[in-house]
Amino acid sequence: MRRRTWLLAGVAATVAVIVALLMTGLGRDPSVIASPLVGRAAPNFTLPQLDGPPVTLSKLRGQVVVINFWASWCAECQVEQAALDQTWQHFQDSGVVVIGVNFEDSTGAAHSYVRAHGVTYPVVEDAGSQAALAYGLRGVPETFVVNQSGRVVNRVFGPVDAAALSSEINSMLLASPR
Amino acid sequence: MNAAGTLRRARPGLSGLLVLIALAAALATLVIVAVGGHPPASQAQQVQQIAAGLHCPICKDLSVADSPAPLAQRMRQEITQELRAGESADQIRAGFVAAYGDSVLMSPPRQGVAGAVYYLPLLVLATGVITAFALLRRWLRAPQPDPPGAGMPELSAARRRAVAKAVARLREEEPG
Repeated sequence: MRRRTWLLAGVAATVAVIVALLMTGLGRDPSVIASPLVGRAAPNFTLPQLDGPPVTLSKLRGQVVVINFWASWCAECQVEQAALDQTWQHFQDSGVVVIGVNFEDSTGAAHSYVRAHGVTYPVVEDAGSQAALAYGLRGVPETFVVNQSGRVVNRVFGPVDAAALSSEINSMLLASPR
Repeated sequence: MNAAGTLRRARPGLSGLLVLIALAAALATLVIVAVGGHPPASQAQQVQQIAAGLHCPICKDLSVADSPAPLAQRMRQEITQELRAGESADQIRAGFVAAYGDSVLMSPPRQGVAGAVYYLPLLVLATGVITAFALLRRWLRAPQPDPPGAGMPELSAARRRAVAKAVARLREEEPG
């Protein structure tokens, strides 16, 4: 009798574990792959700007940096363009920098895109995809938010949402007043 | 003792020596193959091997070695540069894992939760074998059913005859 109780308890425990695993797996979006960079120091880069001097990430320490990987051939990048511009216009005097990192593109196409869409924030070229590989890029658009200490605090896969980005930046600015 | 006789007596010693040399050469060859393994891979082969173990991050089910995507080409270039800089294959893989996570590896790592992929089937197999063994042992040890009449007291010859007579009498008395 005792043996039967143990057997039933074992079967019940196994079923419970399987159900828990299934529920965890079903509740997760398989297209969202967590970045190992979140919580770690943002990889440094120095990249040439389309119109201006090269940009070095480490020199922006103390500011919130929004790094947006994009390309002129990327349709979804156009979707988030207004949100990024809005964020830059709203926060550029509050210690926030938005950097557009052009990925797998030609300089001419990047220039045309910037002019056509009226991009006002700094745009750099990642011609050798060194920054893309360092950030573990899986496609464009992809955005990394770096805090004042130089740590990656968030990674957005796909177009950013202006309200969510603003809220995140606000909380970071409030957490460490200048 | 002439020269021919000397040569004949010397032959067994010479052939033994030749056999010893041949055996030593064979042993040396085996040792070289076992220790040295394959000839050292060229850099292109090393790049191919490392790239074949990495997932192309922007493709579906393609390795960096097989993918024609520009990012996969960049990754192959990166591997080449890092090999030239003297980094080992493990260091190069670790660099990609640091940026992309374990999902960049074509085969899941043997450590952590992902290691269950390797060890769980063995655990299930071992549990199955143990269960089968226990059931078989139980089945073999199970008491056999008693034959008919087992446990009854032995009848003496006189009683057996009396029972036979009684049965015969009853049969005669049966109607029809």
